[in-house]
Amino acid sequence: MDKQEMNDETLLSKYLNPEKIEKAPDGFTSKTLTRIQIETQSVKVNKGLFVKNKVPIFSAAITAGLILAAIMIPAGETESIGSTVWKYIQDLEFTLPVINSYYFNNLSLPGWFSYALIGILLLGFFDRALFGIFHKGKNP
Amino acid sequence: MDTKDDVYYIGQVLEGKINAFSYLVDNHKDKAFNLAFRICGNREEAEEVAQDAFLKAYRSLKDFRKKSSFATWLYRIVYNTAISLVRTRKNRVLSVEEFPADAVDFLGFSTTEEEAVDDYRNSLINFALQKISEEERGLVTLYYYNELDTEELSKITGISRSNIKVKLFRARQKMVEIIKKVEMKNVLYNG
Repeated sequence: MDKQEMNDETLLSKYLNPEKIEKAPDGFTSKTLTRIQIETQSVKVNKGLFVKNKVPIFSAAITAGLILAAIMIPAGETESIGSTVWKYIQDLEFTLPVINSYYFNNLSLPGWFSYALIGILLLGFFDRALFGIFHKGKNP
Repeated sequence: MDTKDDVYYIGQVLEGKINAFSYLVDNHKDKAFNLAFRICGNREEAEEVAQDAFLKAYRSLKDFRKKSSFATWLYRIVYNTAISLVRTRKNRVLSVEEFPADAVDFLGFSTTEEEAVDDYRNSLINFALQKISEEERGLVTLYYYNELDTEELSKITGISRSNIKVKLFRARQKMVEIIKKVEMKNVLYNG
């Protein structure tokens, strides 16, 4: 530290007094705690709606989808809005690129590959399941 | 700073006892508020920033790895929150002329002469801080008021230690220059 730097330091330390810090206003702790309680409760409520009821919501969505499909795509020949839409879909003219299965048939994968793939999928499943069990209720 | 107590209360909060967090707020509120105040330059924004920082700390308390002290971790949140806020608002550049020359006179609310001088110096420091960048304000506050070393400053700001030394040196120079100018102006004003 050169002389100039030391002079600057001395002058600043005369002005910067660590004991003269700006104190938090009165009631800061209670205000902060109230805010935390309010904001975390609203998060829990929002989380509760989707997380706690995800199974019935999912089931209801699937059931509704199946009912809708039954209405839209009738099994018989009867004319309805559903069958009209279905016919329209069938009449759409578009082509998808042809997948040449020749390349797949000629792929030479090692024998253990399929076992490894199943293993990875199973490990992934168990990882998610164990994560769910051990992290349940850990949030404050 | 009682780190052992902090760790105990963090454990209590993580077990779901929200009121244990009030200990952590009580213990660190003044230094957290001071840091926010010196960076933002006004009490209203500083209170908002400090509260936001405590809220963020509460929400991510489970991610606190205890590699550093709770204070260092909290100051990092306060520093980043305050810097972000200052950067989003339009800053007005103060000129030296804007520092009131009769500051000592209107600080007559102070009970003793010593207190009046302290108040004057404090307002002059706040003025000088507002003339340097928000990053430098944070560094100066953490170094001089929170009395942290350059290693802790590096953890908080993410700036390398050597760079911190350079930035602190420059900030010091700028502040000293401002203080000298104001003092000179006051000498002329007060005859």
